[in-house]
Amino acid sequence: MTPSDPLPPNEITITQEMIDEYARISGDFNPLHVDVEAAARTPFGGTIAHGCIPMEPIFKVVQRIIGKPVMPAGSRMSLRYLQPSRPGDTIRLELRDDGNDAAAADLVFACVNQRGDKVIEGRCTLG
Amino acid sequence: MTNPLTTFEGAVIGREVCQGHIVVTQDDIDSFCRLMGYDDPAYRAGAAGGAVAPTSMCLTYGLRLGWEEDVFPPGAIRMGDENVYGVAARAGDALTTTLTIVDRFERKGRRFLKYEMTTTNGAGETVCTVAFTAIVP
Repeated sequence: MTPSDPLPPNEITITQEMIDEYARISGDFNPLHVDVEAAARTPFGGTIAHGCIPMEPIFKVVQRIIGKPVMPAGSRMSLRYLQPSRPGDTIRLELRDDGNDAAAADLVFACVNQRGDKVIEGRCTLG
Repeated sequence: MTNPLTTFEGAVIGREVCQGHIVVTQDDIDSFCRLMGYDDPAYRAGAAGGAVAPTSMCLTYGLRLGWEEDVFPPGAIRMGDENVYGVAARAGDALTTTLTIVDRFERKGRRFLKYEMTTTNGAGETVCTVAFTAIVP
């Protein structure tokens, strides 16, 4: 990827139904994710998405860029969750190549919600 | 009830907490692809070499183990990940995931545990290592 390459468009819109289904698939039924009434009584004021859900655009975009259905073996990803994502949020990816070695792209990314708030930031080094 | 050896006070850093086994099914892959909008033919039944699971699906294996074994306390808040992705998981793979608590620290009055889940396939190849740090109650 070079700075002149267009980034494949990708975003994810989070719904409570999506969160509930992710809970079923992952077994993560943390009340913060799936119990609307209980979550409303927490400082979050409502349910929040599993952290893996707003991460999805990074996988999709990277895999599309490299033309493979999975990340190359040896790929590394480090990230911080800056804010929770909630039902109704649309998360889009901002990505830039921060590496000098074309064979081992070093991608800096941010997942940003519809208000422009960064919810995740991180780095992905392809194997 | 949370496993006492996984609480902030009781965790034994570096010792394996639990191990889980799962067989990847085509139904699992299909469900995940529907949910997240993956449509590459490589994920579908009949793909050459066997259907692969999207890489992000491997994040669910450690999560499932941690919740099923009551390792993660209700109310835990995930703060950050350090993940390494290995060979792709495929439909039919028998996967083993081990969970270890690898760090414990306090900062600004909050308590943190770092969990590491490593998933391997039947050939002993690493599918993924997912490590995340969480604020725990």
